[in-house]
Amino acid sequence: MFGYIFKKIRYLSLKNKDKSMLQDTIAKKNSEPISSDLERNLEVIKGILSDSSDVTIHEFNFGHDRRFKGALIFINSMVDKEEIHKNVLQPLMYGTLLLNKDIDMDFTQIDTIRRNLISMIDNLKVTLLSDLLDNLLAGATILLIDGSKEALVINPGKRESRAIDEPGTEAIVRGPREGFSENVNVNIALIRQKIKVPDLCVEKFIIGDKSKTDIFIVYIKSVANPKLIEEIKKRLSRIKVDAILESGYIEQFIEDNPYSIFPTISHTERPDKAVAKILEGRAAILIDGTPFVLIMPMVFIESFQSVEDYYSRPFLASIVRVIRFLSYIISTLGPAIYVALTVFHQELIPTQLLISIANGRERVPFPAILEALLMLFTFDILREAGVRLPKSVGQTVGIVGAIVLGQASVEAGLISPIMVIVVSSTAIASFAVPAQTGSGTILRYIYLVLAGLAGGFGVIMGLLATLLHLASLRSFGVPYLWPIAPLDFSGLKDTFIRMPLWTVSKRPKAIVWSDFDSYKQSPDLMPSPNGEGN
Amino acid sequence: MKKKMNIPIMNISIMKLALCFLILFTFSGCLGGREINDLEIVIGMGIDKDESTGNILLTAQVVKKEEVGGSGKGEGGGESKVFWNVSSIGNSIFDAVRQITHKTGDRLFVSHNQVVIFGKDIAAEGLQKYIDFFLRAHEMRPTALILIAEGRASDIMDVKPETEKFPAINIAKLIKSYGFTSHLYKVNMKDFASCLMSATTAPLAPLVSLSQNKDDKDIYVSGMVVFKNGKMIGKLNQEEVRGLLWVLGKVKGGVIIVSSPDKQGNAVLEIIKAKSKVTPEIKNGKIAMHVSIKEESSLAEQSTTENLATCPAFDEMQKASAEIIRQEILAAFNKSKELNADIFGFGEILHKKYSKKWKELKDNWDDIYPTIELKLEIETKILKTDLLKKPAFPSNEGE
Repeated sequence: MFGYIFKKIRYLSLKNKDKSMLQDTIAKKNSEPISSDLERNLEVIKGILSDSSDVTIHEFNFGHDRRFKGALIFINSMVDKEEIHKNVLQPLMYGTLLLNKDIDMDFTQIDTIRRNLISMIDNLKVTLLSDLLDNLLAGATILLIDGSKEALVINPGKRESRAIDEPGTEAIVRGPREGFSENVNVNIALIRQKIKVPDLCVEKFIIGDKSKTDIFIVYIKSVANPKLIEEIKKRLSRIKVDAILESGYIEQFIEDNPYSIFPTISHTERPDKAVAKILEGRAAILIDGTPFVLIMPMVFIESFQSVEDYYSRPFLASIVRVIRFLSYIISTLGPAIYVALTVFHQELIPTQLLISIANGRERVPFPAILEALLMLFTFDILREAGVRLPKSVGQTVGIVGAIVLGQASVEAGLISPIMVIVVSSTAIASFAVPAQTGSGTILRYIYLVLAGLAGGFGVIMGLLATLLHLASLRSFGVPYLWPIAPLDFSGLKDTFIRMPLWTVSKRPKAIVWSDFDSYKQSPDLMPSPNGEGN
Repeated sequence: MKKKMNIPIMNISIMKLALCFLILFTFSGCLGGREINDLEIVIGMGIDKDESTGNILLTAQVVKKEEVGGSGKGEGGGESKVFWNVSSIGNSIFDAVRQITHKTGDRLFVSHNQVVIFGKDIAAEGLQKYIDFFLRAHEMRPTALILIAEGRASDIMDVKPETEKFPAINIAKLIKSYGFTSHLYKVNMKDFASCLMSATTAPLAPLVSLSQNKDDKDIYVSGMVVFKNGKMIGKLNQEEVRGLLWVLGKVKGGVIIVSSPDKQGNAVLEIIKAKSKVTPEIKNGKIAMHVSIKEESSLAEQSTTENLATCPAFDEMQKASAEIIRQEILAAFNKSKELNADIFGFGEILHKKYSKKWKELKDNWDDIYPTIELKLEIETKILKTDLLKKPAFPSNEGE
């Protein structure tokens, strides 16, 4: 029996070894230099690309006497053929014809072609087969010349991308309407348009053995903590995966506490939000292929801030922020407190309310905890169904859900009307803090079960455990509960309420790396009618 | 070939955490939740003496949960009672409370008990031995109101109020609105018990009576019952109660009727604010209590044609109202002397100021109390005449 298992394990490991050897040989083959024989090069490339049908290899002769041989290799779908035709093929094939016969140019030299014939800016010379392939697969066109050991990589720069659109997940009333798109170059441009300083660093990484995804770290050198950047680079460099398909992949590979239900890296679709955070000394990670930009480090209160808080005047913004805190509390504790009160602490409910709750629950056959779980579960099903369904069908789900949840279940005597109020207010409240929806949902169930088991005592134990956990969290060295714990009065200006912009003159202390450049604005900006600050 | 077995530190801490939670839920002893459906919510309790056996007859007013909200549903079926007065007989109150489960099926939930009404026979026998349970039981509210029924408590609890759904809540409402007249004041379990424990102060409790008018039964508070050593010894009527409250400084509002300066009708004053200060004095072995009262009122109604918004009229009305207050206080004081019950708490006041002499006074307080002299100093003030400056009569001034 054990022998069989060992044999199996040994077989599997050997099999893996075979595979890795295979990969090694491919890698070895790829790192060969390009030979001067065009035919041979083409054969090798064809072999590696396994005759993919969308790879075009166009062989041609050029020069005034057609004595040079060349080949263009590109992937059909990724290349703007018009551009290649106009700027590469035409000069090579017709342009050379017009040359004076006496000027005998040696077109086996790539540099000669590059300097004299190709009218495209984005090109470079490669000598290794592997570089050639990387560029080819990234969408470049390769020019090979017979007799040259070098190849020219021409990037016509065509790429399908969505127009800049209003971000779907972070709609606001007042503020810019543009959002990031899937094209990382566009995204960098959106950031560059908002920060015009020379020390805005955009550092490139390529991650993913198969996807070779472009990843950019964007930060301001004089503001961001160099240790933070170093740490991010270190964490990024240890990612060895096949593919990075979305920013979530990166997030899960580099976050501080993978077992925590609280996110320690924030993400956004809004350039203005990303820029605001970069200006505070944070670093953004832009990933090609997704409109979501990762921003780190993250603190807990960031979840309760919205860019619009800073665009509208401070009074309403402060109230709205308090409402967000309250709604997070309601969304996590609502059902738990209801269950704890009605099952364990009935004496705390005002008499009249107790009587009406009792009246509502009279026909309900389930214990309160089961009733609450049932309702929450139904709500989560509805939400999930509503998110995944096409918009037109989604509305139907909403109506059915409202009727099933709200009315029919009460009339059937399965659910008490007050439970419907509790769960629906919880549900509404849970949408007020989008960044913590995940943690809120999990906490809601945990607290509810604790309340069902041990009442208010259980809820308080759960709260304490959550608090301990939150206090222990770090995001890239920054305490997650900053500025509440550790207490930082200057940071509190922008926590529970938002003080007017002219009072907040310093960058967040926990994130910015030194006192040098800790002021983001002059400290005496309070407006007054005679034009001078106080 | 061995498989690597690495237990991350994480797993150990998770196990520790799980252990903590296990301990939490096994040792906490908080697992006794009760669903609201299973509660028999008691909102009022009445204690009487069973006539035949002499045992305790407990009446509990229990909410009929299924009937409460359904004013729209049960329209056709006529008026159905939303409460249930369930009673049982036991040797002690707790015994009776437990006996009741034979009828209700569930344990009584007394945390929301609003009123405890004792029958007159119980009050006459002495409340001390009946009140113990209400103070001891942890579910019981110390803020539950204590009342004495003029007849039997169970009769009081049967009277269905017109606007409220529950008799007990209606009674509690009657008591809590005492500030409009100051003809009674609210006494809850805690207050009553602290008076009971005092060596000198006589506890009081509101007295509820039943008035029968053909078929309509109504409940009203007719005064307050005075206790001494836990036993009912007498009753204060409404004026006497207000006299007591003037001294205690508990008058919150009410009406003082004085005859108008021209003797043609009445002026009605509404009490806005009243303050009192009691200073004891022992001189030559004689005890005198100096009571100074400051009262502010407004002219709320008048039944003469005379314009009362004049300085001489105000002066006269102020004097007249001070006289009425004096009469009320003296009535209460004389009644307390007659009963020899220290309803004002003078004993406690003396104890605070003359703590050394108090030791001698304490033992024969019953002999000393009737000899106490009361020195009154009453200051009244009419602040405003509300919306009218002159009465709605043709002016007979000027021409």
